[in-house]
Amino acid sequence: MQVGVGVSIAKDYIEAAKEALFRAKKYITKDKIDFAIVFSTVEFAHPLFLKTISRLLGPTTIVGSSSLAVMSNQGFLKHGLVVMLISLSEKIYFNAALVEKISTKSINKAGEELAEKLLSGAKDIHRKLSVIFCDGLIKNTADLILGLQDKFGKSFPLVGASTADNPVFQKNYLYLNQEIYNDAACGILLGGNLNFGLGVRHGWKPLGKPRFVTESFRNTVYKIDSEPAVKIYEEYFARKIPELTKDLKRIAAFYPIGIYLSGKKEYLLRNLISIRNDGSLVFHGDVPVNSQIRFMIGAKDSILDATRQAASEAKQGMLEKKIDFVLVFDSVFRFMLLGRQVNKELEIIQEEFGRDTPIIGLCTCKEYAPLKIMEYSESAYSHNQAITILAVGK
Amino acid sequence: MLNILDIPFTPLDVAGILTIIFLGIALFLKIQRIKQLRLEVDKLNKSLEGMDEQSKLIIRTDMELNKIQEELDKKITSLYTLQELTRAISTTLEEPQIFKRIEVERLKEIGFEKALIFLYSEKDSRFNLYLNIGYVSEDVGIVKAFIEANGSQFLNLIKIQKTISSTSAVEGFIAKETINSLFTVSAFIFSVLLPKDGDKGFLFVGTENKDTLITEGDEELVTILTNQLGQSLENARLFEKTWNVQQELEKKVEERTRELALVIEGIKKISKRKTDFVSSVSHELRTPLTSIKGYAAILLAGKLGEVPLGVRERLEKINRHSDELVHMVNDMLDISRIESGREVMKIEPYDLKIISARAADLLSAQLKDKQIELSIDIPVNASEVLIDVNQIERVFINIVGNAIKFTPVAGKIFIRAVSIGAWIQVDIADTGSGIPEEAREAIFEEFYRVDSLINQQVKGTGLGLALVKNIIEAHGGKIWVKSKLGAGATFSFTLPVK
Repeated sequence: MQVGVGVSIAKDYIEAAKEALFRAKKYITKDKIDFAIVFSTVEFAHPLFLKTISRLLGPTTIVGSSSLAVMSNQGFLKHGLVVMLISLSEKIYFNAALVEKISTKSINKAGEELAEKLLSGAKDIHRKLSVIFCDGLIKNTADLILGLQDKFGKSFPLVGASTADNPVFQKNYLYLNQEIYNDAACGILLGGNLNFGLGVRHGWKPLGKPRFVTESFRNTVYKIDSEPAVKIYEEYFARKIPELTKDLKRIAAFYPIGIYLSGKKEYLLRNLISIRNDGSLVFHGDVPVNSQIRFMIGAKDSILDATRQAASEAKQGMLEKKIDFVLVFDSVFRFMLLGRQVNKELEIIQEEFGRDTPIIGLCTCKEYAPLKIMEYSESAYSHNQAITILAVGK
Repeated sequence: MLNILDIPFTPLDVAGILTIIFLGIALFLKIQRIKQLRLEVDKLNKSLEGMDEQSKLIIRTDMELNKIQEELDKKITSLYTLQELTRAISTTLEEPQIFKRIEVERLKEIGFEKALIFLYSEKDSRFNLYLNIGYVSEDVGIVKAFIEANGSQFLNLIKIQKTISSTSAVEGFIAKETINSLFTVSAFIFSVLLPKDGDKGFLFVGTENKDTLITEGDEELVTILTNQLGQSLENARLFEKTWNVQQELEKKVEERTRELALVIEGIKKISKRKTDFVSSVSHELRTPLTSIKGYAAILLAGKLGEVPLGVRERLEKINRHSDELVHMVNDMLDISRIESGREVMKIEPYDLKIISARAADLLSAQLKDKQIELSIDIPVNASEVLIDVNQIERVFINIVGNAIKFTPVAGKIFIRAVSIGAWIQVDIADTGSGIPEEAREAIFEEFYRVDSLINQQVKGTGLGLALVKNIIEAHGGKIWVKSKLGAGATFSFTLPVK
């Protein structure tokens, strides 16, 4: 497998596309490039931008998305474009597909549709892994994952993310070949002679006494310990609903709740989306009734430790086989908490995989991955505040 | 009365009773244990509650710390960006370029994606747009119309020199909601641009991000930016002013040079005409003078009969004056030849001592008549010059001859030479009557004669020093005179060595 990464921060998106491709192509000696993963900040999301890449690449499948920030071996970029070109080895197969207009249909069905499209191109191959990108503005993406799992099977390794939108533009874009889409999800199905390792960690630590969800529906929690759910936030921050709402962005980023999962090393995080006037709380991801929850707190050291652990787990998953590239889905909330130290995560990942291993990533608002991929028996969870590191090799 | 011992207990009964007693004790112990456990649970609960309270404190403190950290991070990032912006705008001296250096990427780094700069033109009495980031032309039109309609409010903002934002509105200024709606932003800052001279105005920055809350730090930052912009505008305007003045000056110098060239050209033409005229007149004079001299000589020789004494005397006068006239005509011809370049200097190395000795020899009779002492001091290192020997000899004869004329009896004349780099400077000094200051330059002009008593007694054509000057300049040298009335004069001139 040959992999090349190119980056550009040129203002003009056509120039940027040319520059990034030129740089990425330098690492590929084979004639055939099988597919390209394109991550860009939102300013680049223009049809001509993809058409330029497509024109320059020829018949190569392009998948990707826009995000608040993108990552490469050179660090995070708040304005830029990252292109990863992949020329697969023999006996490795892939298929790419997209489902659009998700808000006009059942999300579960959209998940099934995407899975069917991905599977339709890979009927006779030994499928190994699916990587999904989803518009971060789509709600209830857990249903999308369920829809995918209904078709793939619950234990099929599914890794992905909902992309983080730019707070100003409030738009996310998905890329497939020459077109850009909103309200969509796209993915790649990989199979054949392929290996991968996965690490998912967040690093937030529980604080305060455990509580129980006594009333909830999907991602809305009505009662905690038989009291209005908002009380937990009111007590912890000594503020009433209007003040909490004012600071919601910060509270959501830094103080999620954690769902205790028996036997797991970390709590499953759920970060707050909104506080309703009736005192119920809406989270990114489902919170089942009777879940034991804790208030969670993150610190730079603990989340960087988590990055280290995730990278290490992803490497271990490769069982010392050669790693051809690494994909990183990094939560926007980590981005916010780390502030100016955001590139330390990349340093840690590079320490683990080596500086020459091609790495690309993007800022996400939700991450999808099994808690422990090595067991091959886990279904994918929807994570918040997590870093998902996927190492892929032959 | 029934005695318990009389009850016929079977062994099974006894066992049952013992079991009941045992169970009772066990129950009692359990109850005690439960009580104890409850106490411990209460204790643990209390401790958990205590920990929970501590957790709340930790979270509140953490929240504050995060806010401070965030603000600090933002400030550091903004300061870096401000530094870059400052560097960018201060490295240009062209006014339009200053605004172009504010790029959207840099603006985003300080938390805004929209910006406008308006400067108020006193001349046109209107606000003109100088920078637009993030607005399409249609939106700009709306904003511009709004600013024009509310011009007095914006002029007042410039007058009070205040930075205002969506969190620190000024009393009487346009409502925050109106600005948000018209400028399509959720948060904004207005900061005034105040260069010392010229048009003043304001910078508007805004963001659509609903989460943005403008802090004092943001206001300070934008104020620093506008101060820098104002400074750069000042520099650019000053530079433009200086540049314009310089251009004007250069233009004037060019004009004057052109005028001067024309004048010089005119003078050259006149001078040439004069030289030609003098040359032709001199030539024309020579023939009749030769005839006059010839006829006078014939008459004096008595070839046409005896000449009476009275006639002889007159004839001799005619002859003498004719000689003087011939001399004058020759000088004039020499001057015009040198001036017109027709007289080519035959340059050769020569010893000044020989020339000065020859001149002294030639003038020895006059020196002797007036008992004037001539001393010559030409050192070896200042004797060899590159000259036209005949011409320089005329220079010596002329200057020394003049000195003899204007030096009283028993006076002194000195000829000195000194080496100065590639030149030899010759000084010929006398102890004569001196030359008045106002005449020191004019004496080198043709036919100029100092208006003095002594000059009325001493004969002269007024051409000698003009000829001397022409000869020296034809050698590339210079000539000048220093004098003090009644204390003599020193004529100095330079001659080339190489």
